[in-house]
Amino acid sequence: MSIMEYNGGAVVAMVGKNCVAIACDKRLGVQAMTISTEFKKTFQATPKTYIGLPGLATDVQTLAEKFRFKVNMYRLKEEREIEPRALAHLVSSTLYERRFGPWFVEPVIAGLDKENRPFICSTDLIGCINFAKDFVVSGTTSNQLYGMCESLWEPDLEPEDLFETISQSLMNAVDRDCLSGWGAEVTVITPEKIITRTLRSRQD
Amino acid sequence: MSGLKPGEVNLGTSIMAVQFADGVIIGADSRTTTGSYIANRVTDKLTEVHDTIYCCRSGSAADTQAVADIVHYYLQMYSVQNGKPTVPLAATLFQEMCYQNKDNLSAGIIVGGWDKENGGSVWNIPLGGSLHRQPFAIGGSGSTYIYGYCDATYRDGMSKDECIEFVKNSLALAMSRDGSSGGVIRLAVITEQGVQRIFVPGDQVPVHWEG
Repeated sequence: MSIMEYNGGAVVAMVGKNCVAIACDKRLGVQAMTISTEFKKTFQATPKTYIGLPGLATDVQTLAEKFRFKVNMYRLKEEREIEPRALAHLVSSTLYERRFGPWFVEPVIAGLDKENRPFICSTDLIGCINFAKDFVVSGTTSNQLYGMCESLWEPDLEPEDLFETISQSLMNAVDRDCLSGWGAEVTVITPEKIITRTLRSRQD
Repeated sequence: MSGLKPGEVNLGTSIMAVQFADGVIIGADSRTTTGSYIANRVTDKLTEVHDTIYCCRSGSAADTQAVADIVHYYLQMYSVQNGKPTVPLAATLFQEMCYQNKDNLSAGIIVGGWDKENGGSVWNIPLGGSLHRQPFAIGGSGSTYIYGYCDATYRDGMSKDECIEFVKNSLALAMSRDGSSGGVIRLAVITEQGVQRIFVPGDQVPVHWEG
């Protein structure tokens, strides 16, 4: 049994035309048993960036709080919101601090920078950043998500189309993973607004 | 998830069988997993071993397929030489295989069927290879979540349709809580007339409280 597969979960982020989207499932389990169907894994870091945290649930909660603290401190000291690229490096160093006793999460970051250019990246559990131009995936469903995203993603999707694409990628990927699913939440970030939608999915 | 070798395919499962006046109703989910990957989401876990004798398989997919094939063979030979086999006979054959090979098998099987002497009967063969005749039986990893529900809901003398609803609702609850169960619900109604198969696609599976 792998510690990364104890609670289960899936997160995916995609780049669109002047927008980004991030999505996660809502299951919390203890190995095969499902405990909760309201355990969301995406958190708002700034008005224009989100962090997704799949992995061991206790670390998901702890790191969500740690990053909230660090982002708040950054805002207080710098008197501006943290840019997505800087947030990525903040996440990376926070994880590498624990190089030999790591946090069991593999974060995904999605947001718009100050010029409203889309930004996504993911890191492994010890902080190696993967800067991607198209999509990033993480969690127990990552293999299935790679397949879905590789087939469905295309560049320059408008926000509504990006929503459809990321939703279908997530829904069909988690249907092939018994540790993820039981609902989904999708957030689309545009320069004007952020829209979060909850998806109805299979509950098995 | 014990007994399975690395890479082996798992019939995680929720299975069930209920005896009623005219025969038995058996049901199962349709999920087969390799680790956390769902290798088959439309599996048929209700396997025929004779015209009116079926088994529900849980545990290792390979082990249960092998055992069911062997019992099917024995029953074919028996029916040619001795006439129609009875359900307790089939159940005893399963028991023999599961008990004598208990160290090497990971198989939880429920046998359900109809024969002239006994009418409908349900026989539960859990992991160690013991044999239990029961009015209704549940098995597989998902069954642990529905013991209370089944005990509270089951009544003697239910009609065919009441039994079908009982099996559907029980399996739906198990499939919702157990990660190793899911997909569609397959049912089979076994009576003197033969076997009637019922398929319940994912969107028609009963929905209970989902938080």
